[in-house]
Amino acid sequence: MLVGVDTGGTFTDFVVQDGTSLRVHKVLSTPDDPARAILQGLDELGVTAARALIHGSTVATNAVLEQKGARTALITTAGFRDVLEIGRQTRPTLYDLRVERDPPLVPRDLRLEITERLNERGSVLIGLDQDSVEAAVTAVREAGVESVAVCLLFSFANPEHERIVTEQLRQAGLSASASHEVLPEFREYERTSTVVLNAYVAPLMDRYLGNLERSIPSETPFRIMQSNGGSISAAVARREAARTLLSGPAAGAVGAAYVAEASGFRQTISFDMGGTSSDVALIDGNLTETTDGRVGGHPCRLPMIDIHTVGAGGGSIAWFDAGGALKVGPYSAGASPGPAAYGNGGTEATVTDANVVLGRLSADDFLGGGMNLDVEAARSVVGKVAEQLGSSLEDAALGIARVTNANMEAAIRVISVEKGYDPRGFSLVAFGGAGPLHSCELAAAMRIPRVLVPAIPGVLSAYGMLAADLRKDYVQTIMLAPDADTSGLKPLFEDLSGQGRREILAEGVDEARVDVEQYLDMRYLGQSYELTVPFTGSITDATLEFHAAHHVRFGYSDPDEPVQIVNARVKAFGRAERPEIPLTPYDQESIATPDRTRDVVFAGADGAETRETGIFERENLVAGARINGPAIITQYDTTTVLPPGWQALVDQAGILVAEPVEGEDTDVS
Amino acid sequence: MSRNAQSGVDAVSLEIFRSSLTAIAEEMGAVLTRSSYSPNIKERRDFSCALFDIHGRMVAQAAHIPVHLGSMPDSVAIALSEFDTFAPGDVIAINDPFMGGTHLPDITLVSPIFVGNEHFGFAANRAHHADVGGMSAGSMPVATEIYQEGLIIPPIKLWEAGEPNRAALALILRNVRTPDERRGDLAAQVAANRTADRRIAELVERAGRASVDEHIDELINYAERMTRSAIEQIPDGTYEFTDYLDDDGVKMEPIAIKATVIIEGTELTVDFTGSDPEARGSINAVASVAKSAVYYIIRCLMPDEAPSNAGTFAPVTVVAPSGTVVNARPPRPVAGGNVETSQRITDAVFGAMAKALPEIIPAASQGTMNNVTAGGVDPRNGQPFAYYETMGGGMGARKGLNGLSGVHVHMSNTLNTPVEAFEFAYPMRITEYRLRDGSGGDGAAQGGDGLVRELSFQVETEVTLLSERRRIQPWGVQGGEPGQTGENILIRDGVQTQLGGKKTISVEPGDRLSIQSPGGGGWGEKG
Repeated sequence: MLVGVDTGGTFTDFVVQDGTSLRVHKVLSTPDDPARAILQGLDELGVTAARALIHGSTVATNAVLEQKGARTALITTAGFRDVLEIGRQTRPTLYDLRVERDPPLVPRDLRLEITERLNERGSVLIGLDQDSVEAAVTAVREAGVESVAVCLLFSFANPEHERIVTEQLRQAGLSASASHEVLPEFREYERTSTVVLNAYVAPLMDRYLGNLERSIPSETPFRIMQSNGGSISAAVARREAARTLLSGPAAGAVGAAYVAEASGFRQTISFDMGGTSSDVALIDGNLTETTDGRVGGHPCRLPMIDIHTVGAGGGSIAWFDAGGALKVGPYSAGASPGPAAYGNGGTEATVTDANVVLGRLSADDFLGGGMNLDVEAARSVVGKVAEQLGSSLEDAALGIARVTNANMEAAIRVISVEKGYDPRGFSLVAFGGAGPLHSCELAAAMRIPRVLVPAIPGVLSAYGMLAADLRKDYVQTIMLAPDADTSGLKPLFEDLSGQGRREILAEGVDEARVDVEQYLDMRYLGQSYELTVPFTGSITDATLEFHAAHHVRFGYSDPDEPVQIVNARVKAFGRAERPEIPLTPYDQESIATPDRTRDVVFAGADGAETRETGIFERENLVAGARINGPAIITQYDTTTVLPPGWQALVDQAGILVAEPVEGEDTDVS
Repeated sequence: MSRNAQSGVDAVSLEIFRSSLTAIAEEMGAVLTRSSYSPNIKERRDFSCALFDIHGRMVAQAAHIPVHLGSMPDSVAIALSEFDTFAPGDVIAINDPFMGGTHLPDITLVSPIFVGNEHFGFAANRAHHADVGGMSAGSMPVATEIYQEGLIIPPIKLWEAGEPNRAALALILRNVRTPDERRGDLAAQVAANRTADRRIAELVERAGRASVDEHIDELINYAERMTRSAIEQIPDGTYEFTDYLDDDGVKMEPIAIKATVIIEGTELTVDFTGSDPEARGSINAVASVAKSAVYYIIRCLMPDEAPSNAGTFAPVTVVAPSGTVVNARPPRPVAGGNVETSQRITDAVFGAMAKALPEIIPAASQGTMNNVTAGGVDPRNGQPFAYYETMGGGMGARKGLNGLSGVHVHMSNTLNTPVEAFEFAYPMRITEYRLRDGSGGDGAAQGGDGLVRELSFQVETEVTLLSERRRIQPWGVQGGEPGQTGENILIRDGVQTQLGGKKTISVEPGDRLSIQSPGGGGWGEKG
């Protein structure tokens, strides 16, 4: 038995896989103590022991966003304690006279300096002044901090000074995070920010996971999702807490990649549309990763799934700006009052209200019929938008949906075209409460040829946790000139790979399932951004890979230009025994019969057109079932809209594959 | 949708086109950042990207750096007036400040966009190159003639129908200190414009040429409506303020910039009549820089989501008399106009606006970019190096809100170079980088603090400083105290020497240079 638990803002989702049986469960989250909802859910599911329990937690993320982490100190090289506050010396927005920056996670009086200095090769310019170290340790103890981050200049090139300081802190009984342990990579602000994030959340994660570990069956291995899309034992996550900062969205992308691959689709874009925001990620065989992530305003350079978030979801509000253009989001009706259709006093038109007006969301099937929708309230708020547009109610609702889709399109462009990928070669995996409502029209506008709706789109993050490998990442800046001696690479990789193998084996993984991948970060000499390419032992091959990758990403490459090696990277995996997706082969397709019909509004050539539309219950659809649009497919927490000119097939893996009918012009934008 | 009878544009399609066109300009920026070589472009993002229609009207500009707001359209206007015909694959290069440029390191590439055989419009991007030759490394010298500042590129076709003009390229590259880097940056700029070419073709294919043209017209009207609605909020009247540059680096006398702001209904005029004549030193601004400063202020008074296009600034008139420091004539040097004088023009206009909008306008910010250029030969590889960087400082206080510390203000928002990247790249070290305590002006709200960045040199190096607010303090408002002036201090054999704001010096191994940026002014009387 495998159990995935995803703590979200509203619900805590559970997925339990036992052989080929899959159980899904939802419990209201308990933000004051997230563990309570988890234990309640496990109890309700009757889970006693499992092969593994994998958990995605928002404890660390929320601590950073709400500035409620541990009281943390920072120790730096003398002259550089303000690097954390100065950052890259930029203001977050250009034209805002009241612009503010997120305050640093360590206030100035807790940022202490010690006397020492290395050069870029790690040679000592100023030796470590022991008195300054002792003074700093004393000051930190007297300040009563719970956690200390240590980041000295060029410690990635020579960790000796940092090691000594960290040891003294630990000997003094303090929890310490050292930058050479967390991220031995150059660029001092980003490294400092990353190690401070770790120090800031580690004590909280330590307590939270410690409590949970004591409450779940002791024989059940307990793992935590990381931002990189892999999982790790809770014991390691308690120390390396910064690795879990964006674990929830990462798990969703892992789930999307896994179910799509089971149906034979390896080039996909995951599209998770929720109530207030939407997450998109690109999967080109593998999930795209980045080390350019941020949590709140704070850079985190640890590898993470490259997820782009846009502030628009079902609860986003439609409004007119001063020039008279219709906007959707980033303002949201939130959970309270929520969309007008929820009947809790919402007075502004949201995306959900528009979908109610269009007949796409209906009280009959919303949350399994368990929640009433106030259609009149939705019509009234969308009516106000229509009045200002001078259009019909239905046209106004379609307009809100189109502007929403334009927001989503902009988000998808950031992760695709801006990185050199053409979305026309990808399939869109739609999930989250609202993703499948908008996905076909969004795909049509972007010429994305196919939409995939997983069987359990409402709990895909929890499901993704079951499919996630165990994983650890390692990096070391080496910064070699193009003609430099590279003989040091081999022992360095042996070191990093050996460490990776050991630490994954220590997670209790079979030797046969351990996998180590080596990479180099390279750039043309003089550039200041690196591309990561696989390294299999030959620098010549890696260099060729680099030229090719540069061409894909930036549209040009120059084989004559000298190439520099910047970082060595190792990813160590414990390959998961992934949940089996049962296949139901079928002899021939069958046209599905709708469970009922209702009027739904779609965009026609001359504006809104109301069509009698078949409503299908997802659970009644068998493998091989074919549906022709217009149609609505409903399930407990998701509604899929199949517009006219589209058709869908439930494949043998249970995924809904929607495509435009050939020759039909489906561009509704 | 019930569309307007005269046009196929409505509030929904308007927003969708705005989003599509902005996305194209943003994507150009992504390509340029990622594939350029100069740290100035990549790390510091000192560049701008914009799209223009066939008449040279700006259609979309990505939110890059403010000082290019008013000057990008001038580059395209010059390209249109200099050339009669355009072919696919043409690329026009310009850096002449008196012909559509700003200062010489900013090289602008303008490419016609073709959809099939039809000329659609132009893509343009401008990037600050780390060196374009001239009397000092980094091409930001303390000069008295523009010829000393570097190579001047009048509008020329650097690529013609896709073929590089090899002779012109060779001439340019032979006149700069780091030719390989320049070649790489120019290639990146070309790639950015090509991106626009592809994306516009897709947009036209998707929506049809007529619809795209119609939406461009309406987007320009829409932006104009936004601006008029912002100006309408400002009380009608005439407001004056005079601010001063410390000096021009040649003659140690303050230079006045006088701004008269006239608000009439939904129109705004800024008249710089009464400003001092053009100077001998390199702090002269060209008219497009003065326009950029005014446009920046307008943009600050508008909502965040407002678009930047030809309509945005239609209700705004800028009067910059020729021969003054805000509209210099050839062959005056202008390197500092873009980076320093642009900040003072902003201060002068904000000073006048503070009389109209006392609750909204902040105190003066650091008012400089603290330009440092350095060059020499790196002993680690025997190659010449050219370094250019600007430094943040204190932001002016706002009502009820302290100014930010150690940030770029107003006309710039470029990133710093990480210490650990800097020391790999140059034979210099940074020995201190911190906030400059107590440099912000006191007040009910406190001005932000400046920065201290100390460089130490390992080899003989030519260093040029181009900085301001070393003598005249950034002002406070509504009773707030001024921020502290900045300082540039050379430390040699333990002896400290004040260098003043604008200076070129030869430093020796072991010398140190402490650059201390000004603090912002305070807001309101301290209670």
